[in-house]
Amino acid sequence: MLALHEVQAAFRRAILTGDTDTFCALVATDGLAPEERLGVYRNNVFASLTAALRETFPAVCRLVDERFFAYAAHEFICRHPPESAVLAEYGGRFPDFLAGFAPCRELVYLADVARLEWLMNVAANAAHANPIAAMTLADVVAEDAPRLTLQLHPSFGFVASRWPIDRIWRANRTEAAAEATIDLAAGGVWLEVSRADANIIMRVLDSATFTFRSAVQRGETLARATEVVLVADPAFDLCRALPALFLDGAIIAVSLAQSHAGSEIRQ
Amino acid sequence: MIPKAQDARAIPAAIGIGMRTPHFDEIIATRPAIGWLEVHAENYLGGGPAPVRLDTIGQEYPLSLHGVGLSLGSAEGLADDHLRRLRTLIARTEPFLVSEHLSWSITGDAYLNDLLPLPYTEESLDIVVGNVAKAQAALGRRLLVENPASYLCYRHSTMPEPDFLGELVRRSGCGLLCDVNNIFVTCNNLDLNAEAYLEALPAAAVGEIHIAGHSRVMRGSQSLLIDDHGSPVAPPVWDLYRRAIERFGLVPSLVEWDNNLPPLAQLLDEAQKARAALATVDSDACAA
Repeated sequence: MLALHEVQAAFRRAILTGDTDTFCALVATDGLAPEERLGVYRNNVFASLTAALRETFPAVCRLVDERFFAYAAHEFICRHPPESAVLAEYGGRFPDFLAGFAPCRELVYLADVARLEWLMNVAANAAHANPIAAMTLADVVAEDAPRLTLQLHPSFGFVASRWPIDRIWRANRTEAAAEATIDLAAGGVWLEVSRADANIIMRVLDSATFTFRSAVQRGETLARATEVVLVADPAFDLCRALPALFLDGAIIAVSLAQSHAGSEIRQ
Repeated sequence: MIPKAQDARAIPAAIGIGMRTPHFDEIIATRPAIGWLEVHAENYLGGGPAPVRLDTIGQEYPLSLHGVGLSLGSAEGLADDHLRRLRTLIARTEPFLVSEHLSWSITGDAYLNDLLPLPYTEESLDIVVGNVAKAQAALGRRLLVENPASYLCYRHSTMPEPDFLGELVRRSGCGLLCDVNNIFVTCNNLDLNAEAYLEALPAAAVGEIHIAGHSRVMRGSQSLLIDDHGSPVAPPVWDLYRRAIERFGLVPSLVEWDNNLPPLAQLLDEAQKARAALATVDSDACAA
């Protein structure tokens, strides 16, 4: 007799890899074949997880159609089943999976659209946090300023693409929203996603602002984040970029790195 | 040690409905006369506006938290992070009932998003008793454990499901959520007798009843009932519900509808049918 953990491992293999022999041998065979009985559970697992992915990636689903989406979702679920029961948090690896999924290789923008939709999902489900005002920085003495790190609101996310994914997303967000033609050669885009109250906000940034805000989000000091931007954009103006972050409600805490590592000024 | 019991019988027996997101605005706007609402805990464990909405609903109605993801039957034990988040939600919403399922979903850190069947053995009983005890201690609440809808049974099971539930109640101090539709579905699918199943449950432990719709699929010449909560409650399930009330008393009862979600009015009609069923059993039956 198999121990319970072995029964459960066999069930998992039967559902996710199709290796049903071990599990079906455990099932009583009155009336229906074990494979038929197992099929009810398999269907529940894939139907519910596919629905969860479709809810998180609606534009991706429209771009490839329902049938292809179900096929891609099935392959993804088998390789990367959820790790927790909170399905709103499932699918973070789906964009990278799509990027490497050969059957949709010709849709070069698909993975980036998925990255955008994932950021929207993260923003929608991010914890509540109160932004702080730029006045907080009044407590910082000038020589400490380069060592400042700013904590971004958890709803903020950034995605850059070689393709106009904001327009592609808009054209596929609902059945009705049809933008006639999108010129893929129109160029790339730098996007910021966040949430204000219950509304998801997608903004197009210039590349310098995108680079700066991404560096701040990674936890770089103000000095380091500025350096990173100046390499690509010598005209970058920190004196405008910094207050803008606060005005956008993007900052929830500031602290000093290194010698006063992590010492918080105000939250 | 058993945490202080939250006695469901202290709540006036009444009919509740499962609250699903598309009905939220209408419920807040119209405040239908319904005794209480039940939500799936996992839909409110993240951030965003969902828990805030639940706060709003909780000011208008008693709430029951119904978990689907704790995986009480996992051989590898419970996920601490999930328990921690559930505890936070319980502290926030102060539900009058907290329930979960006699099933498993997690193995090898994969969450298989379905209520999967357990073999009913002494080993499984030890594992579920341990997990329920751990959950009750971590959550500070008595759990009601729901009988699952089953589509298969294991060759090596050594006890009937109601006996397994009875032992679980005796050893863990948990209560039971008796889902009469699940009893009907399971007994059809596994060729068991639904009335006998009901009789075999420990009546005093039942703190809540679920009623829902199911569908029928054909597999060759055989039919399987699927617990899909996607249609009105079937007449024989109403009959079983009346039997359950006769046996368990006037415990809080819930109409669940998850798939092919109808307009709120139709769900409230189902709740009205449940009230009517209560009235035929006992003239003192509650009004919601």
